[in-house]
Amino acid sequence: MTAVSVPIEHVLILACVLFAIGLTGVLVRRNVIFLLMSLEIMMNACGLAFIAGGARWAEADGQIMYMLVLSLAAAEVAVGLGLVLQLQRRFDHLDIDAASELAG
Amino acid sequence: MTSMDILAIAPHLTLTVSILIVMLVVGFWRNHRLTMVLTVLGFVATFIALFPALDASPRAVTPLIQLDSFAAFFNAMFLIIAAVTALISHRYLEGRAGQLEEYYILLAIATLGAMTLASAQHFAAFLLGLEIMSISLYTLIAYPEEGHPPLEAALKYLVLSGVGSTTLLLGMGLIYNATGSLAFAEIFQSNVVGQQSDAWFVAGQALLIVGVAFKLSLIPFHMWTPDVYQGAPAPVTGYLATVSKASVFAILLRFAVQTETLNQDVIFTLVAATAVLSMVFGNVLALLQDSVKRILAYSSIAHMGYLLIGLLAVSALDDSAMALETCLVFLAGYLAMTVTAFAVVTQISSATSDRDTEQVADFAGLFWRRPVLAAGMTIALLSLAGIPLTAGFIAKFYLFAAGVEGALWSLIWAMIIGSAIAIYYYLKIVFAMTSRESEHEYPPVSMLGAATTVVLGVTIIFLGTYPTPLIDAVQRIVEGFG
Repeated sequence: MTAVSVPIEHVLILACVLFAIGLTGVLVRRNVIFLLMSLEIMMNACGLAFIAGGARWAEADGQIMYMLVLSLAAAEVAVGLGLVLQLQRRFDHLDIDAASELAG
Repeated sequence: MTSMDILAIAPHLTLTVSILIVMLVVGFWRNHRLTMVLTVLGFVATFIALFPALDASPRAVTPLIQLDSFAAFFNAMFLIIAAVTALISHRYLEGRAGQLEEYYILLAIATLGAMTLASAQHFAAFLLGLEIMSISLYTLIAYPEEGHPPLEAALKYLVLSGVGSTTLLLGMGLIYNATGSLAFAEIFQSNVVGQQSDAWFVAGQALLIVGVAFKLSLIPFHMWTPDVYQGAPAPVTGYLATVSKASVFAILLRFAVQTETLNQDVIFTLVAATAVLSMVFGNVLALLQDSVKRILAYSSIAHMGYLLIGLLAVSALDDSAMALETCLVFLAGYLAMTVTAFAVVTQISSATSDRDTEQVADFAGLFWRRPVLAAGMTIALLSLAGIPLTAGFIAKFYLFAAGVEGALWSLIWAMIIGSAIAIYYYLKIVFAMTSRESEHEYPPVSMLGAATTVVLGVTIIFLGTYPTPLIDAVQRIVEGFG
């Protein structure tokens, strides 16, 4: 059986594209849930970069970092959803701009 | 793990155990004062544990963390600030509806994260320390349930700090792909062995610097800072401006020294550009503000810009010891004066009101009604402005010397122009405090808070008039670092 190997650059480009998609989401979306989802995409892009590295160097380090990224994403979303609940309870909507009182 | 390893890591272990103890006590018996006292005792015990740990250092415990006098210096400062924050928070939170005890647990956990960052020499420890601190901070910012600004500030911080963290992570991922290593020292080896031309490697380092710039709120990555500083409860803002900034800077310094990333022109230019922008625009934007917290936010942006001169000098100077000494002296001064300013804001505010006492107009007459606090604030502001005989003067003097030595002329000019602009808005607050008429209601004075302010004010003056002990200590630390 011959293994078809994907060039490492392609994986990294995919990670960067995913990251850019997530970043665009954070910049244009105004609903807090979508902001959190976009952040999640960005984190998974980072995870992909680490996994690609782990495969390239045939080490476990990349996978371990991916686990750390996963737990980080979970912790961040847990706090984020807690804040979302507060926002919903107080304003009855999830629009981050409408919740804006502090002068920018 | 040998007994020497355990001795070296004793401060981290002590703080972890004290967090567990506080958590258990809170689980069985909720008492605000007791929780505060236990937390402060935990910080004190951790501080004491730093001394035996120093005897066992420098020592790498697991490949992840390096315990040396550099880390101990930062840890000592973090613990002092955390203890001050806990002491002044007691009166601030008192009277707030809901449960207050978790605040102190979160504060201790955030400090544990900061201590991990100061000793990290591996990307995994970097990530863990940073996120232990950041996630505790999100909750701390949103802690007061009443009032709307904290919730908004916490959401903004969550999203933008998340963007910063992911940028940093992508940078780490790209560096790992290029070098096959997550430890700083090994990245350095590949940095030398002809990898510089690898575009992915350089991009990774640039992304890492951008992520750190988010955390240090350097212009143009500063959008969140004024809003978060204004919305967060005053003691948390103080903590955010000091411990969270200094810990990220500590790891940036260690990373820059161990990997020599600044020797690459692209990275050097990137850092220099953000430094100049932060120094000039940080000060200009501060002129437009009416809120003391926002003024201090922009002033912290500008100060982080000044601090980058020290970082750039690490690569610009042949003798990096002087540059390192500059960074540490500047940070010590910056932490002392910033924490003092926020301690005063905390003491004239209360978590029970809608928002903190933070408008410049609210400070009118403070000199006549709260002379001790006003004196502390004046010392802090004069020090931030860099007036002689204060810690801020010594700090800026050091930076100036390092910048001249390294021939970083454009940065020096930005610092001079920035400092000149800054005097105006610091003095604006001082003049407001001396005015005769005052309408704002201040909460009652707490002896604990007043005593803390006096000690902090005296420290600033002491560092400014007799800096020799600090300089000696820093020189010893720098000798053993690298």
